[in-house]
Amino acid sequence: MTITLTVNREERIFSGDPRTPLVDVLRDHLRMTGTKAVCREGFCGACMVHVDGAPMASCLLPVGSLDGAAVTTIEGVATMEHLNAVQQAFEDHDVVQCGMCFPGMVMTMSRFFQTNTSPDRDEIKAAMTGNICRCTGYERIIDALMSIRTNEVTS
Amino acid sequence: MDITPYPKLFLANDLNEALRALRELADSAIPLAGATWVMRAPLRCETADRTLIDLSRIEALRTINIDQQEAVIGALATHEQIANALNGYNDLAALAQAAGHSANPAIRRMATIGGNICTAEFAAADLVPALLALDARLEIEGLDGSRTQTMAAFLEARATRAHTDLLTRLIIPRTQRTSTHARLTLRKAGDYPVANLSVSIALGAGGKISAATVAVGAVEAVAKRWTGFEEAIIGHAPSPEKMQMIAKTCLEEFDGRDATDAPGWYRLRVLPGLVANAFSTLQETTLGRAM
Repeated sequence: MTITLTVNREERIFSGDPRTPLVDVLRDHLRMTGTKAVCREGFCGACMVHVDGAPMASCLLPVGSLDGAAVTTIEGVATMEHLNAVQQAFEDHDVVQCGMCFPGMVMTMSRFFQTNTSPDRDEIKAAMTGNICRCTGYERIIDALMSIRTNEVTS
Repeated sequence: MDITPYPKLFLANDLNEALRALRELADSAIPLAGATWVMRAPLRCETADRTLIDLSRIEALRTINIDQQEAVIGALATHEQIANALNGYNDLAALAQAAGHSANPAIRRMATIGGNICTAEFAAADLVPALLALDARLEIEGLDGSRTQTMAAFLEARATRAHTDLLTRLIIPRTQRTSTHARLTLRKAGDYPVANLSVSIALGAGGKISAATVAVGAVEAVAKRWTGFEEAIIGHAPSPEKMQMIAKTCLEEFDGRDATDAPGWYRLRVLPGLVANAFSTLQETTLGRAM
């Protein structure tokens, strides 16, 4: 079965078992290793990508269901020259340690801030419940995300 | 030699295509709704090489319609869709809250109400007790026609049902009641509940409970109505403290389920507290609005 996807605005073709999880297609076939395969059950958020604009756990998506879909991964969410607001906030607040969970966090929260322009701290925490970090503790991550709102409000 | 005309993932364009594929492939196929349970089969050491019959392109199964008589929810409606669509309806609040607090945002975006109900191995599903408490009926379609069934009857036969029929819609009667859902997880982020509970009540003279349906999930392998508690709370004011006291006297209906996340005795131990939480929420939200 041949499946055609648009990944980061480029058309890509996968020929193989259509039940293969999208995360494995991205990492093993397309060599896009920014998307991490960790828990493989949708709980940790490390494999988050956008499918037709919505954050989805790519470990739970059989690629055969996605024929014709537009997928954005961490490699395509911004450019190297211009990080998006979430990436920039994480860098500015120096919140990244091992880095395993951060691509997923960026994908989740990039979309979140497109639809929630002035969230409070609890709303950010609720949005982040599906993204688990085992290095840092969460408060500085939340501080970084709160700064996006503050910057927007004050700019 | 494999002579099946179906690929390992078959995208059904309509219900008849899906039903035909399921009948022809029988035990070698399984319906795929939100994929959040089926795709984790390797983690459960399930090695069956089954064809996935993907229902996601059947748009008719996604619709949600609410009028004054009933709420009709397509089996492929996601938890996120349901939480949004049912927001603000007092009588349907149990289902809205169950859908809006299950798992995590990404799972709620994918997981469907049909998958939640049909997965016999998933004891901690949040939507099942909510649908029991709201007296939902299920519409099931086969190549031979359709039929409706109560939630209780469906759950009783669920583990042994053939996968040649498909759940298509949930039909929930609208009422003047208020409802809520409570769940207890060991951690906040994404855990399965060790116990969950849905309550739907009507208040009569003097603000006393005149009718009640209460259902409990995760405590036993299959969610069920808590009939002894339902009867015991009639005529009482819905105060959290009183409800918790009564709940402590009605626990003998349950045989707690031992599993890796919690032992059976613990699930029973927390149930009265969960009752108090549910009635606190009722007082803060729907009862407050209704008064």
